[in-house]
Amino acid sequence: MKQKLFCFFILFSLFLFSHSFAGPADDIIKKVEENLNGKTAVMTISMDVKTKRAKRTMKMDSYSIGNKKSFIKILYPGKDKGITFLKIDNTMWQYVPRIEKTIKIPASMMLQSWMGSDFTNDDLVRESSITEDYTSNFLEETESGYKVELLPNEDAAVVWGKIIMEISKEYYLPTTVHYFDEDDILIRELIYTDVQPFGERFYPTTWLMLPKEKDKEGHETIVEISNAVFDGDVSESYFTKRALKRYSD
Amino acid sequence: MFLKLALRNIAAYKKRTIVTLLLTTITTGLLVFSTAWMDGSHQTMIKNAVEIYPGHIQITGKDFREKPSFDNLIFEAAIIQEKLSQIDGINYFASRFESFVLFSADEKAVGGMLTGIEPEQEKYLSRLASSLLKGEYLTQGDTNQVYIGHEFAKRLKIDLGDEVAFVGNGADYSFAADNLTVKGIFQTGLYGFDAGSAFIAKKYFDQIMAAENYATHFIVLPKRTEKAEELAVEISRVIGPDYQSASWNQIMADLVKAMQLDSLFGYITLGVIFIVIFFVIMIYTLLTVFARIHEIGILRAIGTTPQQILAMLLLESSLLALISVIIGGLIGGYFAYYFQLNPIVFSGYEEQFKQYGLAVSAMPTAFAPLVIFRDMLVMFVLSVLSTLYPIIKINQYRPVEAMRHV
Repeated sequence: MKQKLFCFFILFSLFLFSHSFAGPADDIIKKVEENLNGKTAVMTISMDVKTKRAKRTMKMDSYSIGNKKSFIKILYPGKDKGITFLKIDNTMWQYVPRIEKTIKIPASMMLQSWMGSDFTNDDLVRESSITEDYTSNFLEETESGYKVELLPNEDAAVVWGKIIMEISKEYYLPTTVHYFDEDDILIRELIYTDVQPFGERFYPTTWLMLPKEKDKEGHETIVEISNAVFDGDVSESYFTKRALKRYSD
Repeated sequence: MFLKLALRNIAAYKKRTIVTLLLTTITTGLLVFSTAWMDGSHQTMIKNAVEIYPGHIQITGKDFREKPSFDNLIFEAAIIQEKLSQIDGINYFASRFESFVLFSADEKAVGGMLTGIEPEQEKYLSRLASSLLKGEYLTQGDTNQVYIGHEFAKRLKIDLGDEVAFVGNGADYSFAADNLTVKGIFQTGLYGFDAGSAFIAKKYFDQIMAAENYATHFIVLPKRTEKAEELAVEISRVIGPDYQSASWNQIMADLVKAMQLDSLFGYITLGVIFIVIFFVIMIYTLLTVFARIHEIGILRAIGTTPQQILAMLLLESSLLALISVIIGGLIGGYFAYYFQLNPIVFSGYEEQFKQYGLAVSAMPTAFAPLVIFRDMLVMFVLSVLSTLYPIIKINQYRPVEAMRHV
């Protein structure tokens, strides 16, 4: 009898396990990711970084192919003009005209702030590989959207202990994303708004990043996207290390 | 009369005298020297740790110590400067701006601390200037010239005159980058520090890092370093609640605690040894006193009161204890004094010390007469106490009983 119970228990838990593994959330997340990245994307981005004391604005161009390759060039402010970033897979390089040097961002610096904003270097490199690194669990469905929990895979080298993503049913785009650390403490909140059509694609044009850590009180970063072109031709020439310097001026 | 008797007895029972004297002397010497050694080495380690870089007193923005972000800087460095120059007990002070940046000589980048310092004053506040290995120390008017740790330079594969670039964030979180030329290389011996720090003149630093009139720290050297704690409190009062002023024992609370713990274990070890010695002395006294039971019986029979016998026996052990404590104290004190002047050098152990973040190989003892006197007193009391039980025990016999005791 006991053995039977035990067998049943194992089968039952296996069933639960497999169920949670391939929940309907996976499809949703995949769709969301495709919508966010596109095959290729060329965007003009403006970024406002607010701290307790000051507010800065930066402008940049961004070119990307899928989620593997991307190239960013800073246009404004003048003193930072020409700084370029190249990301290929999980590696990131930076070219700084003032020192005439290309620097590979070391792994240990991945969690440092990117250009003084509330985004980290890691966000630029890794944000896009959610389907590969996380297991999604369906939490809740409302009239307008879904709520999905993302837990890191055991072997994934990721930063977050948990991500909770709210997704709009209308566009299959994220609306709010909460990032938690391994101790389940909310570290930051990312809010996507102003969905606008670009060709056949809808895209959130305002991203608001709110860090929730105590020492970042009063900080926020707003990203605004204008002139996005999706799925067009993007020259492969942007995604080489030589491009960093070549497209700098 | 008692004294005479006591002295005569001490002379008569040679074996007991010698054993008690020897044991108590050695123990006292050991205690005195161990205390001097522990205190001395701990003081040296702390002094070293404080003087290499952190300084005796640090002033920071109110919340900077808990949350070292650019939001909690000292934003009015000029005002702090002015206020500090009015405080009497301060010998030297200077501001620093520490920031974590990426250094890169070739394409490979290494994270490290880039700090803007006021070179002239910094000379007196830390051992940076005196740790010069090659090249030159910084001067006030230097521009993009960097003074870098030896191990750090090695990691970046650069040497004197070479160029190293850095990228980081300015005080306003904006992007900052520049090329620096290696002007000097230092080695304090603290590996972690030497492998991740570089310094440039603060004037230039302020320009490229948008840090004009800002600082992360003010470092203060008191006129009397032993009064650092009081001075830190006084500075707090003067600069107001928007800032925090902490002395080294707060800044390096972990190290201070570790040293206290180490002392505690030292005393526990000594305590165990003393307990053993205490019992040895007690047993010896017990044996000799009982060997004299016949004699004591006779004394009682001819009219000596138990109080008188107690006094006589106590005087004996007190005299013995006194003599040995004095000799032991002198011997221990001599060694403590000698090794203070001629520190013990652990020439083969620098590597091990470094692992604990200690840049010292010579450990002087601390010769402190008051501490030595305290130890001598402790040993005197212990030594007399250990003879108390046998003395009281023997006084409980009645004279006839005692005389017939075999």
